[in-house]
Amino acid sequence: MPKTVLIVDDHPGFRASARRMLEASGYAVVGEAADGEEAVTAAGVLAPDLVLLDVQLPDVDGFEVAARLQGLERTPAVVLTSSRDRADFGDAVAESPARGFIAKAELSGPALAELVG
Amino acid sequence: MSGLRRALVALGVLATLLGLLSTALVLTSDHASPRGLLLALILATGWSFAFTGLFAWDRRPQNNTGPLMTAVGFAWFFQALSASNNEWIFAIGILGQNLSFAILVHLLVTFPSGRLRTRLQIVTVGIAYLATGPLNWLWALFTDPSAQGNCQGCPENPVLVGGAEGVANVINALQVIGGSVSIVLAIGLLIRNWRRSSAAERRVLTPVLATGGLAFSVLLVQLVAGELGASNTFKGVTFITAVTIFACLPFAFLAGLLRSRIGRAEEVSSALSAENEQLTAELEAKVEELRASRHRIVEAGYAERRRVERDLHDGAQQRLMALTMTLRLAREKLDADPAASAELLDEAMEELGAATAELREFARGIHPVVLSDRGLAAALGGLAERSPVPVEIAAAPEERLPMPVESAAYFVVAESLTNVARYAGAELATVRVERRDGVLEVEVTDDGAGGADPGAGTGLRGLADRVAAIDGSFAVRSEPGEGTTVEARIPCA
Repeated sequence: MPKTVLIVDDHPGFRASARRMLEASGYAVVGEAADGEEAVTAAGVLAPDLVLLDVQLPDVDGFEVAARLQGLERTPAVVLTSSRDRADFGDAVAESPARGFIAKAELSGPALAELVG
Repeated sequence: MSGLRRALVALGVLATLLGLLSTALVLTSDHASPRGLLLALILATGWSFAFTGLFAWDRRPQNNTGPLMTAVGFAWFFQALSASNNEWIFAIGILGQNLSFAILVHLLVTFPSGRLRTRLQIVTVGIAYLATGPLNWLWALFTDPSAQGNCQGCPENPVLVGGAEGVANVINALQVIGGSVSIVLAIGLLIRNWRRSSAAERRVLTPVLATGGLAFSVLLVQLVAGELGASNTFKGVTFITAVTIFACLPFAFLAGLLRSRIGRAEEVSSALSAENEQLTAELEAKVEELRASRHRIVEAGYAERRRVERDLHDGAQQRLMALTMTLRLAREKLDADPAASAELLDEAMEELGAATAELREFARGIHPVVLSDRGLAAALGGLAERSPVPVEIAAAPEERLPMPVESAAYFVVAESLTNVARYAGAELATVRVERRDGVLEVEVTDDGAGGADPGAGTGLRGLADRVAAIDGSFAVRSEPGEGTTVEARIPCA
């Protein structure tokens, strides 16, 4: 059974590319969300195995969303992503409950598999 | 020389001649004594009043003080006429000898304006004139000084209608009472004037009123003492004292005049100081405005950088990220599914085209290269071409202008056209940019809905600051239903 994924990003273009990449890599994309609130709600409903979470969202940032997702009954694995480098966020990535961070430029099936198996 | 100046010079010559005539009359007088002292007092007082009066008249033609002082001086010479051995000249002297005191009362109670204003002033001055004028003339008809002990050697009175000592005494008593009343009233008025005046006015009034008040007081003592039968010596001393003080009066007037100049200088200084304070306040407001505007410009700079970063991040960078992923996918599928790979490559090229266009647009937003390369007219043409609302360029300068001016004008038009497209619902926008008298006038009008609030958005505010930074002015007129006009005037001398 493929891993289920929720994609959270405010850019539809990126979501479409990410969906195609993930599906090509054997993931089942079960939903997309454009902001933090929508992401938390969708994760509660869809209970995905993995949330690919953009750090910069229009409402709350990805770190805040990752923390909130920890409160869900079934906690998904969270992978943060951004068009920026990990270093641009200082210690925030290390301190967040997320499994890891992949820059958008390096985002690929194998890179994801390395973090979440 | 003005007519007034000529008349004043003529009066000056007349005063000089009167002084010389007085000298001759007193020195040849059989009855005046002591001649030297009398002459000195007559000349000192007469000339000093006449000449200081003429001086004051010349300086302040609208003020009655000068004419009144001059009149006192001229009237004073009647005293010398009464020293004459000629009976008619003597008579004229007797008739007019006290008139100068009445004019002096007039002068003092109305100082510094010289104008009679209150009823009390009119009564005071009226009594003084009555006592020294008509009553004195009446008295002269009934008395013969030469027949009295105190005027030995005087000529006979040619206007005497009859020696009536009783009538003369009554008239004389009326004169003394009138004179005393007017002097008391005058002293009272002087004190009241002084008390009512401001510190600045007192500087002018004090020398005049103090000297005048003192002279009147001494004269009053002399008058009353004379009636109470004081000795001739006492009367003589008090009279000479009063007259000596009178002789000083013109200098008190001059001192007052001088002080009034100092006072005016202080007023001017005070006015300048007030104006200075106002200017300082205006300057401070201007500095505060500049400080606020500078702050906004710095803020706008940061905001602009944030916008650039955000635009890059949200726009071209996202497209490039997506492009990366698409290319990576295409690469992965290249061997297994070449057809899918080719489709992904097509998609990638399309994405790349969009990213390039977006970057171009973005770069133009930072600085339009056409503006620096080809000038304002070409850049405005580009703006008009890209505007979704039809734009008519009514005027655009073909010559090159300083870069900050071109840039400010360009962004005023660009932002205004963006607003027209977004909010105005207009069918046509008109752009007019003209250089006139060292000022670049920029005007963007539309036929849209109007009602734009310049304070509401950051766009117009930013434009205003950008224009203000190069000493220009910026205004928006936008009545509801009448379209919007954005105007900027940028100095470009």
